[in-house]
Amino acid sequence: MLPSTLRDQALGYALLAPSLLLLGGLLGWPLIQAVLLSFYDMHPLTRRVIYVGLENYTDIFEDDMFWRAFANNFVWLAGSLFLQIGGGVVVALLLNRTFIGRGIARSLILFPYLMPVLVAALVWRWMLDDIHGIVNYAWIGMGLKRIDWLSTMPNAMVTVIVVGSWRVFPFVVIAVLARLQSIPQQLYEAAEVDGASRWSQFWDVTMPQIANVLSVIVLLRAIWDFREFDLIFLMTGGGPVIGTTTLPLLVYKEAFELFKMGKALAIAVVMMLCMLVLIAAYLRSVRNAPASEEIR
Amino acid sequence: MKSLPMRLAGLAATGFTWLLVLAVTFPLLWMLGTAFKRPTELFAKPPTFFPHAPTLQNFVDVLEQTKFTIYATNSLIVATVTTLFVLVVATLGAHAMVSFKLMGRHVVARALLLCYMLPTTAVLIPIYLMIAGLGLANSLSGLIVAYTSLTLPFALWLMRAFFAGIPPEIEAAALIDGASRLRAFVDVVLPQALPGIVTTGVFSFLICWNEYLYSLVMINDDRTRTLPTGIMGTLVNGYAIEWGMVMAAATMMSVPLLLVFLFLQRYVVQGFGAGAVKG
Repeated sequence: MLPSTLRDQALGYALLAPSLLLLGGLLGWPLIQAVLLSFYDMHPLTRRVIYVGLENYTDIFEDDMFWRAFANNFVWLAGSLFLQIGGGVVVALLLNRTFIGRGIARSLILFPYLMPVLVAALVWRWMLDDIHGIVNYAWIGMGLKRIDWLSTMPNAMVTVIVVGSWRVFPFVVIAVLARLQSIPQQLYEAAEVDGASRWSQFWDVTMPQIANVLSVIVLLRAIWDFREFDLIFLMTGGGPVIGTTTLPLLVYKEAFELFKMGKALAIAVVMMLCMLVLIAAYLRSVRNAPASEEIR
Repeated sequence: MKSLPMRLAGLAATGFTWLLVLAVTFPLLWMLGTAFKRPTELFAKPPTFFPHAPTLQNFVDVLEQTKFTIYATNSLIVATVTTLFVLVVATLGAHAMVSFKLMGRHVVARALLLCYMLPTTAVLIPIYLMIAGLGLANSLSGLIVAYTSLTLPFALWLMRAFFAGIPPEIEAAALIDGASRLRAFVDVVLPQALPGIVTTGVFSFLICWNEYLYSLVMINDDRTRTLPTGIMGTLVNGYAIEWGMVMAAATMMSVPLLLVFLFLQRYVVQGFGAGAVKG
């Protein structure tokens, strides 16, 4: 680190100033406003506000829709975390072996993650089309009954979870793969000498090595998936009825379909509080796993 | 030398891996196949994988019957302007955070991380009200403001990691040789940071190109709509969806992604390595 003079401090802050101003103006201030306005009622046209105290909050806590969305949010989160982490670890282990075309396979696996979310949602909707979709064609081909993948419950939730996990599991693959490559080969050689089976090598050598990184990945993905809007909205619009409406979708509906800004903001604030718990846990786990620095 | 059963097991694992990889990329291939099919072949039983009589009709229809080119131009403008602006701001900011021993830099880093993790939905409404209040609703400038709030924390976070990876001795040597701090930054640090800047630019561009929610909320005018909301609004409304056209539009919308894969893949992988890839 270079010695720091007062002039350096001034120059440094001058370089940082645009970033700080923009972050403050475009995130800090809106965030404060979100919290403040959640105690007000806003007229949809004039935007005039009236202080209503905790009314927006008592409103949402008495609203079945809110609790349904709250529950949906956790079903969505738990389901997609389970699938993407499980699938991601398995695929990372497979891609860590030496095999023909490994480089190409590692690139191809990234596609779902980098595809525009709209494109991903539309392709799946086409494949899942009740009548002409390839999925139902294959499904019926296996002698099973035609299924409404997106317009009945619980199918819609399961489908959205599967598609959501498909979209983001490459992130898990890449992050786990990076860690797998840094495990010293000697550990496996020693385990082999001791006669450990492949299975026990995984649990006794690999798992302890990737455990820290994995906990960071789980929390990071939880933070990101908890707030997912685009994919769910584009696949189902929150339906059938409110079957796949999660908190972010409810915020959107209250604010931009029902024009209840105050109530929408109260939901957003509750959502943020839930996320703060996740973020705090994430910060703790990063501190406990300095080696995972690179995947933050 | 490995035993025969071991080698067979290895072969099976390789086959299984490739099967999985192909299954994961299948939707992409299915999109391409559908985009080049004629309407009659779309509903063929059994479905065909490769189009029998490939046609560009779907692409022509999308370009002639919808405002695809307008949406694409808007998306391109918004994504390019936002990316360039954010890159300049974040390069300066990241350099300041890494190589100046600023007082309060830990507070700044912590605040930045919080900004980075903040859900869009939490600030969506205040930002929407702010932009509408400035009279920028329905305008591309409004979207650029919103997308700056979306990409700046991410860009700063990613660039900070890249700048931290540059050995400080390089800059120190230039300073000892008599260069000013700004000269040292431009001549010595910036060239070293270039790959990181490109990576950050690629991801910012893709984030803006793909963004849906802000565009949905803020734009209510066909002249300023971007691709995601434009395609959704014109092609995926109602019950009789023309899947051939939809897949053609989706294919065209994926072009930047394919270009990135062909020419900038190295940077993408680096981006994953340096971490922070927003999902």
